[in-house]
Amino acid sequence: MAAPEVHHLFHNPIADHSFSADHATLAVARDSTVELYGKAGNAFKLKDVLKGHDKTVTSVDIAPNSGRIVSCSQDRNALVWEPSPTGYKPTLVLLRISRAATFVRWSPSETKFAVGSGDRVIAVCYFEEENDWWVSKHLKKPIRSTITSVAWHPNSVLLAAGSTDAHARVFSAFVKGVDERPEPGVWGERLPFNTVCGEYLNNSAGWVHSVSFSPSGNALAFAAHDSSITVVYPSGPEQPPRAVLSVPTQLLPFKSLIWKAEDEIIAAGYDCEAFRFQGGEGGWQLVGTVESKGSAGHGEQREESALNMFRQMDLKGKVKDDTQLKTIHQNTISTIRPYEVSGGRVTKFSSSGVDGRVVVWNA
Amino acid sequence: MSIIQQHTAASLTDAWRTVNIDILTEDSSVNFDTSTLHPPQPEVSEADVRTLSTQVRQLLRGGDAEGALRGCLETPVYNGTDGAKEAHLQTIIEVLQSIKASDMTPLLKGIYAAPGGSELLDVLMKYIYKGMASGAPAAAGLKSPAKMTPQSTGFTQIGSRPGASNEPASAAMSVLLSWHEKLVEVAGLGCIGRTMTDWRRV
Repeated sequence: MAAPEVHHLFHNPIADHSFSADHATLAVARDSTVELYGKAGNAFKLKDVLKGHDKTVTSVDIAPNSGRIVSCSQDRNALVWEPSPTGYKPTLVLLRISRAATFVRWSPSETKFAVGSGDRVIAVCYFEEENDWWVSKHLKKPIRSTITSVAWHPNSVLLAAGSTDAHARVFSAFVKGVDERPEPGVWGERLPFNTVCGEYLNNSAGWVHSVSFSPSGNALAFAAHDSSITVVYPSGPEQPPRAVLSVPTQLLPFKSLIWKAEDEIIAAGYDCEAFRFQGGEGGWQLVGTVESKGSAGHGEQREESALNMFRQMDLKGKVKDDTQLKTIHQNTISTIRPYEVSGGRVTKFSSSGVDGRVVVWNA
Repeated sequence: MSIIQQHTAASLTDAWRTVNIDILTEDSSVNFDTSTLHPPQPEVSEADVRTLSTQVRQLLRGGDAEGALRGCLETPVYNGTDGAKEAHLQTIIEVLQSIKASDMTPLLKGIYAAPGGSELLDVLMKYIYKGMASGAPAAAGLKSPAKMTPQSTGFTQIGSRPGASNEPASAAMSVLLSWHEKLVEVAGLGCIGRTMTDWRRV
């Protein structure tokens, strides 16, 4: 297996990152700007800085087909950056929220995006042609606290959201005139806007860091601050779910998770590395880390001579250099995203973290 | 009109930062009973705790330490009076004290490997922290916490460490500490995280 591709961009936390569909452009949220990196050979070079927010940018997402970038920030605004020959043109989106925007994602149809906020609402935004304006509709009930993450169902109608009130919820974000009526499925049959299709919490009820629909959209996984992941298999509208499987782990909590396929989930977080979960409706379990630790200290194997040992003793007062973690990421991983998908399975995924690194892994 | 004239005394101070805007928002968390977010827990009465405690003691006398520990951990008192909660804590500490240090790790591993074991160990961690928090558990018995407070001065030896009366208490504390160490080895840091995040308090 090829080694993971490591890009150490800078020494600041990366709140969120997103690759364009051709993997030539990488957008990262850094402080109050969005930085665009272009691929030059094997490295990423800073290409453009999108300045428009005046507070910390919390999330960024590139639409794979249209190339439009959406970003949101603690200044309570979202901006849609339209690519044009002379650079990216920002359009302000009125979110009508009074607290920080925390998370943003394009729907798979790319006609809408959802913004989570600290204002106990999710703003679902879509473009109104006649007014030439992005409009937002609020998903409000029954959210009781900050939304930490959102995830779209493949049908672009259903939206999952994780919140600090310890619930993961599934809503309908159906917008008349924008969406086609969805096929009835396990989550519900008639789905007007703000229908609550499911509301889940696990036993110890830590706040939810990340939510994700399975590739088919028929299962939902969420990671919570109690170091667990929970997978929900719904059985149909208005019925209790077929199975809610919680996997408590011995590890630190996960900040982000993705489905590799219907039978595999990858999650990463405060342990600075990604972990693999496998299972199905019968049960899920942690199977191990994605990173292979064979290459201890990643690559840089030091000469183990007596001379070197005494030199280290002299220089640092100790033999072993233990200032580095054994993992590639040297701090919390905040986001992981699918990078390459083939045959319905994620074959590569990317991660970014507080250490300013973006890493592309073989899933 | 210059911008400067628009400043008032109120806008120049930081006083507005201390306004608790959550109170002014109708449906914010302070104006809302957060306990309704979770399913209610069954109430456990003091009598139930006592019956369990006698059963557990019998198991202990019969030498079945694991059974005794499991018995306590399967019925945590999440919803009950302070008396019931305190009594259950005493039972658990009694069990913990009666288990030899060399038996701790195999016993914990056994519980962890069993189905639902992780949950039981989370409960154990909650009681270990509760035991540590209550200052002088078990052996000090019903000694009121008020008597303990004058000792909070830290390093002063005189008076602050009245040897004899506190001896059993610190023994209980060292038992809890060694259980904590062994428990983290088995159930990991996730166990501590769950104890902190869990809304079900023992």
